Formats: sequence, structure tokens, C-alpha cells
Amino acid sequence: MSTAPHSKKRVCYYYDSDIGNYYYGQGHPMKPHRIRMTHNLLLNYGLYRKMEIYRPHKATADEMTKFHSDEYIRFLRSIRPDNMSEYNKQMQRFNVGEDCPVFDGLYEFCQLSAGGSVAAAVKLNKQASEICINWGGGLHHAKKSEASGFCYVNDIVLGILELLKYHQRVLYIDIDVHHGDGVEEAFYTTDRVMTVSFHKYGEYFPGTGDLRDIGAGKGKYYAVNIPLRDGMDDESYESIFVPIISKVMETFQPSAVVLQCGADSLTGDRLGCFNLTVRGHGKCVEFVKKYNLPFLMVGGGGYTIRNVSRCWTYETSVALGSEIANELPYNDYFEYFGPDFKLHISPSNMANQNTPEYLEKIKTRLFENLRMLPHAPGVQVQAIPEDGAIVEDSEADEKVNPDERLPQRDLDKRIQHENEYSDSEDEGDGGRRDNRSFKGSRKRPRLEKGQESGDSDLKKEDDIKSEIKENEKDDKANVTSEEVKKDGSVNP
Amino acid sequence: MPLTLYSIFIRSSRSYLIYLIDFHDSPKQYWAKKSFVERKKLPAEKIRVGRDYQVIVPEFIPLNERRLDQCPDRALLVWSPTTDIPDQKLDEYIILAKEKYGYNGEQALGMLFWHKHNLERAVLDLANFTPFPDEWTVEDKVLFEQAFQFHGKSFHRIRQMLPDKSIASLVKYYYSWKKTRTRTSLMDRQARKLNSGGKEGENGSENGSELGSNTDSESEDKKWTIHRGIRRGKNQAVQGSQGGDAKASSDSENMPQVQGACSNCGVACHSVRTTPKGHACHSCYLHWRRTGVARPLSSVPGRSNKRKPPRGLVVNHDDLAALAGQPNQANNSLQAIDTEIVSLKRQIQSNKQQVSGLKRKTTDGIDDLRPPEVSSRINARWTNDELLLAVQGVRKYGKDFSAIADVIGTKTEAHLRSFFVNYRRRYNLDAVLKEYEAENGPILIDDEKDEKMEVDQVQNSENAETSQKAKASVAPGQTTK
Repeated sequence: MSTAPHSKKRVCYYYDSDIGNYYYGQGHPMKPHRIRMTHNLLLNYGLYRKMEIYRPHKATADEMTKFHSDEYIRFLRSIRPDNMSEYNKQMQRFNVGEDCPVFDGLYEFCQLSAGGSVAAAVKLNKQASEICINWGGGLHHAKKSEASGFCYVNDIVLGILELLKYHQRVLYIDIDVHHGDGVEEAFYTTDRVMTVSFHKYGEYFPGTGDLRDIGAGKGKYYAVNIPLRDGMDDESYESIFVPIISKVMETFQPSAVVLQCGADSLTGDRLGCFNLTVRGHGKCVEFVKKYNLPFLMVGGGGYTIRNVSRCWTYETSVALGSEIANELPYNDYFEYFGPDFKLHISPSNMANQNTPEYLEKIKTRLFENLRMLPHAPGVQVQAIPEDGAIVEDSEADEKVNPDERLPQRDLDKRIQHENEYSDSEDEGDGGRRDNRSFKGSRKRPRLEKGQESGDSDLKKEDDIKSEIKENEKDDKANVTSEEVKKDGSVNP
Repeated sequence: MPLTLYSIFIRSSRSYLIYLIDFHDSPKQYWAKKSFVERKKLPAEKIRVGRDYQVIVPEFIPLNERRLDQCPDRALLVWSPTTDIPDQKLDEYIILAKEKYGYNGEQALGMLFWHKHNLERAVLDLANFTPFPDEWTVEDKVLFEQAFQFHGKSFHRIRQMLPDKSIASLVKYYYSWKKTRTRTSLMDRQARKLNSGGKEGENGSENGSELGSNTDSESEDKKWTIHRGIRRGKNQAVQGSQGGDAKASSDSENMPQVQGACSNCGVACHSVRTTPKGHACHSCYLHWRRTGVARPLSSVPGRSNKRKPPRGLVVNHDDLAALAGQPNQANNSLQAIDTEIVSLKRQIQSNKQQVSGLKRKTTDGIDDLRPPEVSSRINARWTNDELLLAVQGVRKYGKDFSAIADVIGTKTEAHLRSFFVNYRRRYNLDAVLKEYEAENGPILIDDEKDEKMEVDQVQNSENAETSQKAKASVAPGQTTK
């Protein structure tokens, strides 16, 4: 991704000071307080004063039932920790209780989160802003009548519904480590929303997000899933994110974008298993921003809260196009960021199980799907007979369209082969991994603090150097262009 | 996970309470992780299709049918950016609001926005709306800590001990307090010691080693200062101290033990009084004045080896006396110290930011600071600017082309010779030369060279003179040093 010169955008930011003080329960990894920590960092970095700050309204039940079922919302509104016993049956039905506990102020929390995303979408519709941010939103697992994965009300779906009033096509991108199943399911059968989710797949929550899930009915080919393995690093992520999003933009041509910035894809996350740094995560924002479309950024997962607030602070600065120092300013949560008190984090030594070949395979496969979109120039007719070649799948009748399942088998084979080879490939070409491959790759090792800081110093230098190089390039470019101008205007 | 195993062991062998105190974090994490590992093993699920799962996609409203009432904007604007106020002014304003009136940054900006970015009016109004001071009293905080030791993060239960606090307020306080626990670790250690040892009776004798064991409410404040390792900075010197000791107290920043120590009881303090028996702290001094003998030490804490404060912590006698004397004032001065620490930390971080910014600039090199000519090479093509310079050069240096070439920088002497020939008519260079000659006399090739030599010689001799002078002027300076 080339870093284009930051362009200044009008940014609106939605935050309610209460949202950080809801508590899911003892031992629960979801901590709304991270939103407050982010907010405090923004304030102390001086980014707050560069944005329009809104306090969102509490979304009404009417607004929420634009997507959710009336019953489900009524249930959410009435359940409290002290009357839980009366709702046993409904709790089971709506999947509330374990992962999605009943806590004090649950409904208000949902109202604020949804209120922010809806208000942000309205703002974009009015063209009163170019980028809207709601770190309290991004709860992408919530289903129409079901809570899931710490999410109760799907603010993203509500936001997109609002955008769809004024936008013919809306693109949804999800860089949470978990599959954005709630949003995908909500828009699975429409061609007006394309959902693109990059996530860890295979024995991982929520279990959906297979490469072969591509949408149904009118929405066929409008769901794009990028299943990934453990240990995705910045480089690999960029190598798949950029080409796919470029292709999607080119073929789908959305008029608005929603980006779910789940921070559990960062390295060292309590639940996640990727190895991204704040910079790598932020590059996705930077890349999407460059398309200059109405842009809604929402939060999402993220369970190592110090890194979540680092990440979202950095991404706010990217949205604003204003650089911030790597040294954190003093803030209310300063002690959380020790021992180095820096903004950027360094990756761990975990092995990256995504080989370039694997990523390449996924990419080609998805490109084939994208070529099927009506917008794409020159739909490939040859692809269809290929699909028809193998019609022996017994499960084919169970799903919507027999056509779509056939290439899946094809692909299955390919992927399996891929995995068989991958081990030896790791050993063969992994020059850069040689020195860090001692640890088992399955379980990611927790970052030791000392180690983290040691690495980060090196890393930082590199970062700085590369930045400098980029700056130099820019400068040179400027100089030469000036020269050209002068030369061009020389007297005869 | 040795820690986790250990904590489970503890739970089974000792009381639940101890487990909570020692490892209140790790076992739960273990539990949480386990449940999420299990969750991962769910069978692959499918996206479901049907009316119960998908949204009803709203109609697209074409441009000409859009109305304002389709976009109800119900979020409340609390701040909008302004370009009228420079960043530095804004920073100053926020710091004023924070440190003088106890606002937080957000409230300060809110006030400014309320006054439509009118800085003066906002400053005047600051005093009228000072936000409520932190509603957490020291008692609340101690109660919270105790409740937390019993109940962990069950805020419902904690709330039973602090009924006037909302859950939200408890959660907020918990997160602000969590990471400062290490500063209060002394108290935890003492609590553990008491629990395991069970020697309540010896409370008094242990006071010296770990002052935090005081349980009477009067000394609560004292306890907090000591636990936090706070020592007064020089700015906070006690008002009543004698003027002559100001210097001593400011130096005590670096060497507290030596500068402000009482020679009798060994306690560090701001103001020592000189007596025939050496420096004495206020108490020792008074005792000496009254009785004429040194204060007996058996009753003074902090004397025996056992009673030394822990490493890195300096107990200032005067501060302790002040704190113990008037609880209210103590609270105030503690708050003052806290805000001072915070502002110092803020300063440190912003300095660090500046330093790293400057570092980056220096590693960037000075390339972007150089005038653009430096980077451009010698080039035969003439730009407008260069032509202008060349003509002016002729006016100033006549036919001394090498001098003109030096001024322009991107042209050689040969370039200028050809310039002179080519552009002689276009720019009427002969007239320009005449102007030059009118000032500097006619140009003759030889003369010109001689002149130049002379000028050089004069300059050289001048240089030599000045450098000698410089040496002479430096020399005496060195000798005086």
C-alpha cells in the first residue's frame, strides 16, 4: 500500500461518556471500558479537538426493529440481572446467558452502541461529513433474533440500512479476527450490500465464513469470505487485503463503505490469534480511506484493552490525516501502557500459518467469484461449463443453487493439497522465520513484557526509517515537479 | 501455566479469601479462556437463509425525492473543531481549566464550545461552573479496596458495601484504580502478613517497618501518602518553615538523607534547625529548647533498623506531622501533590514526544531545509530566475564570470560566457556593463585581475588580524577559568 499524502477530511466522532462503564461480568473478556480508554487517549493526543464530537441518542426500539424482531428487542428491554429467573426460556431462545450475559444496563448499552452507528449513517447520508467513527459500535455477530459472541444488537446492520436509503450499493468490510456472520447473514440475499470479511477460519468462533459461502439468491457473489489461518502478520494481511478490496471496489463500485475495525486481529489479543501490529491494522483504514467514499468506521472485538485503545486511537488519527507521536501523552489510563508507554506495538514471534501460496489460492478463487458480478466488465462465460463438469455432489440439493456448490469441491481439494505442502514450505522458504520458530505454532505464546519492549525498539527504528524513506521520496517528488514547472516556463 | 496451577492449589488448601487476595486475576482468566476454547470447537455453522434471518432492504430514495425529514439527526453536538484558536492557546486554556478549576479536558472544550469558541468568555466562565470534585472520598476508596479483596470484580456485591455508588461509578473507579494497585502494594503485603501470621497483638511493634498497618481512621491519610511513595516536592515546602532553610529544602530533592536529616532522630524533613548538638528536626528542636537535652529516642519511630522506610521511599517528618495534625488540611495537600504529579507526568510525556519529534527530524537530515538549488545539478538550460540572477550578476560583478557563476550555483563560468554573448543584445548587457563601470571603473582584463588580487590580499590580512584578535580575546577568558 503506498501511503498517499494524508488528505484532510471532515470527521465526526460518536461517543457517550457512559458507554465505558458497562460491565459484562467477572471474567468476561469483553470490556466496554476500552472505548473510554480510547476516548481518553484521543483527548490527550489532541485529536478530539480536530473532530466534530457527537453524543449519540439512545436508539429506540422502533429503530432497532428495522432489523431485529420485535420479540427479541422487547426481551432485551425487559431483562435485568434481578429478573433473569423469569425469562429462562426466552434466554435460551435468544442465546442470552453465557457468552452474552445479562448485565446492568444491557439495554442502554445496546441503545448507545446502535444510536451511534445510526446517527453516523444519517450524517453520511446528509453529506455533512466524510468519515464517521463510532468505536462503541461494530457488534457484528448479533442476529435478527439472537444474541451471539458478546453482541446483542447489530448496530452495523442498522447503520447500513440507513445508508441504503441514499446509497444504491454499500460495501461492508470486516477486519475483526472473527467472521462477521451477523452482518453477512442479514444481507446474504441482497445485491445492494457486499460483505467482505477477513477472519480466522477453522475450529474458531463463530464457525461460519467458509470461502465457499458466497451469498444466496440475488445476493449470490455478494458475500466474500477470506478464511485465514493463525499468525497473520502485517505483510501477509496487506498482500491479501489490498488486492481483494481493490478488486471489490472496481467490480462492485459502492457509493459508501462501512469498515468494522475489530481489534482482536492484533498481536497479543486475549482471544485472537493473528499477529498484526497497530500499524498493519491501521493500513486497512488508510487504504479504504483513499477511495474517498462516505466512510463509516465502527469498533468491534478487541480483548487486550490497552492495544485496542492504541489501535483505535491510531486509526482515528489516520482518519483525520494528522500524524501523532509514538510516545503516548499522559492520560487517565497511563499505567496500562507500560512499560514502554508507546503507541505502536511489535509483533510476536508466532509462526504465520498462511503461506503466500495459500493466500494466492484464496485470492484467485475470490477473483473468479468477483468476475461473476454483473458490474464486472466481460463476464467470463467459460467459467460456467467448468462448474457443470462435476455433478456428483450429494449435498447439492440441500443448498440454494446447485451451481454454486460445485466449485467448492474443486476448491476443497486444492486447499487440502495446499495444507499438505505448507509445512515443508514453511521450513524451506521461511528464512525470516528461522530464528523464531521454536515455539509451537498452534497456541500463540503470550507476549512477555520485556520481550515486547525489546522487540519494539528494533521495530520502531525500522518503522521510522521506512517512514523517512517515504518522506524523502515525497520530497524529491515535489522538488522535481517544481523543477519541471520552472523548466517548462523558461523564456524562449 | 504454573501460576494458574499454583493458584488452584492455594484455593484448595487455604481459605478462599487468600486466593482472592493473591491471585484475583489469573484463575478467572483461565476460566474464561477455557470456556472460549470450548466455544471454538463448535461444529461448522452455516449462514441461514429465510425471512427470520435476513433484513428487509429499504427502498433506495432517488435524489429528487430526498427530504430533510428522512434524516433525523438526533445526536448532540458537543464539540466542533475551530481554526480560529491556535493549538498552543487551546493547550494553555485546557491546562488552566484543569489545574485551576478541576475540569477535565473534555469539559474544558465543552465550555469553550458553549461560548462558540470565544476563548475570553470561556475563561471568564470557567469559575462559574467548576465541576463537582471527585465524589470518591478516601473512606470510599479504602472501602472499595476492602470490598474488592473480598468480592473481586463482582460489582453487585461491592455495591452492597458502597450503596451510594452506582455500578457504573464503581466500574469507572475500578479501571482507574486497577493499575495504581502496585503503588499500594505495601498495604496488601501487610494484610497478607497479618492474615497468615495472625499476630494482631504485635500490631504496634510492626508499625515501624510497615507504617501502613495503622488502622485508626486518623492516620488513614498518612497511610495513603506513604503507600504511594509520595514525597513532597520543593514547591510544596511547609509555609511555616524558616526562610533560611529554603535552599536546604530545594537541595533535598537530590540528597534528602543528608540535607534535611535530623542528627538526633535521623528523620528526613524540610527544615532542620541548627543547635549546638547539630541539626535537629522540629520535634527534637522543641524538646531541646524546652528541656535542654536531646529528645529521647525510644519513642521515636523510624530509628531502629527494622523501622526504616522501604527502599526508595522517604518519609518526611514535617509532612507526617502536618498530615497527622489536621486531617482536612492533609487531604487538601495530598490532592495538591497528586495534581502536581499528574502535571509533571504530563510534562514528561509531552517532552518525550517533542524529543522524539526532534530526533526524527534530525534523522531526516537537513535535506528538506536546504534551498532547492543545492539539490539541482549544473544545468545548461536557463530558467527565468537564473537569467535574472545573471543579469544582476553582470551589474554587480561586471565580467567576473566565475563570481557570477558562484552566485547562481547551477551554471559554470563557461555557461556565463556564452550567456554573455548570446543574451548581450536581448538584455542590453552592454548598458548594464556601463552601469557597472560607472561605479567600479573601467574593466581591463589585467586590471581586473590585479584588483581581485588586491582585494584578496586585503581580505586575507584582515582575516589574519581578526583571528589574532579572537585568539587574544579567548586567551584571557581561559586563564580566568
